[in-house]
Amino acid sequence: MAVPVIEDIFWVGVNDHKTDLFEALWPLPHGISYNAYLVRDAKTALVDAVKKNYSGEFATDLRALLGNGQKIDYLIINHIEPDHSGAIDSLLSQYPDLCVVGNEKTLRLLKEFYRFPVKTLLIKDRETLSLGKHTLEFFVTPMVHWPETMMTYDQTSKTLFSGDVFGGFGTLENGIFDDEVDLGFFAEETRRYFANVLAKYSVPFQKALSKIEKLETNAIAPAHGPVYRKDPKFIRDLYGRWSRQETEKGAVIVYASMYENTKKMAEAVARGLAENGVKEIRLHDVSRTHLSFILSDIWRFRALVLAACTYNMRLFPTMELLMNFLENDHVENHLLGLIGSYSWANTALLALRDFAKKGSWQFVEPYVEALCAPTPEVLKVCQDLGKNVAQNLNSIP
Amino acid sequence: MKKYKCLICDYIYDPAKGDPDHGINPGTAFENLPASWTCPECGAAKSDFAPVE
Repeated sequence: MAVPVIEDIFWVGVNDHKTDLFEALWPLPHGISYNAYLVRDAKTALVDAVKKNYSGEFATDLRALLGNGQKIDYLIINHIEPDHSGAIDSLLSQYPDLCVVGNEKTLRLLKEFYRFPVKTLLIKDRETLSLGKHTLEFFVTPMVHWPETMMTYDQTSKTLFSGDVFGGFGTLENGIFDDEVDLGFFAEETRRYFANVLAKYSVPFQKALSKIEKLETNAIAPAHGPVYRKDPKFIRDLYGRWSRQETEKGAVIVYASMYENTKKMAEAVARGLAENGVKEIRLHDVSRTHLSFILSDIWRFRALVLAACTYNMRLFPTMELLMNFLENDHVENHLLGLIGSYSWANTALLALRDFAKKGSWQFVEPYVEALCAPTPEVLKVCQDLGKNVAQNLNSIP
Repeated sequence: MKKYKCLICDYIYDPAKGDPDHGINPGTAFENLPASWTCPECGAAKSDFAPVE
């Protein structure tokens, strides 16, 4: 159902509860919305579309809003990823004169994703497009999330259509606007989205955010998650903090354990933390908590302790997968403690240390290693590691 | 020495700065970067760069 946002602008998105894994990776227990927006003016412009399997619902909503026989002049593509552009062939069959608006990289990817002829309008950074009353300005912001990503700013209503930037997980049938929804819930689901999908691009994010820093925004309308019209600063601040990797006082302990020996060591670290005043502690079994939630916690808290056993003479495989993501995301501004265990081949701790060397982690001593089951002495060292992490955390103002 | 721009993500390779995070010393000309070098921001290949005029 189309919902008015601000003068002449309507939310025409859809809520997806059927996709279980976003990008075939990230769980969606609360679904996700694909937000498209329609600007009704002398010329009608659609900003982004929706995923292909929602083409039917999307078409019905657009027809209900526009009435039969009315055309859409432009489809502005802020982001060509198919969760936003998949409905394009259905759109073209209903609106054959539709002109697709994008930058050079958008139009190149458009051609490669959708191999049919389409009318296009090439725009450059900071160019404008007048719809009549409304004038749209384009801000090319590469690599927030793909090379072609850009934002569209309506100078008339001061609405920023920001694409994936400022987006989050969670559907919107219980409220579309920041003044309607539980913002605490959405802040969590939005950080998880950032940590899972966008974290790797933190540096381009800072560039993009500084490019739009001076823009006055009455509403921020991202391609996923709520529309911010009461307090757009709220989401600008959150994304600013996350892309600068500002972390909070707290610790995430992640362990890989087959027979609960390594788990005991992880728990001893937690005791050391708790006894020394750290209240925010998250303990995860890397094989059982989905990486999506672990990464989100890591993006939030300052300290990380990894405890892993050896498996087939390598680091435990689910821990290896977490290492892959952390390395690829260039995690910074974190304390790191490491624990390994083995029964005959002492690989886990070596592998963890190799991983740590490649990043910019701030080490907390000591490394801990256990042969088979940890002795009381080893558990005491684990507790000391927790204490040392706590002292480091407590020294942060 | 010329600066080169990544045509995928707009990253600018500045030979004066090099790419120390990936073992490229300051003062390394773009032409002398190893063929395996990729854009530090988006992973694009060396062939996706063009000189900045």
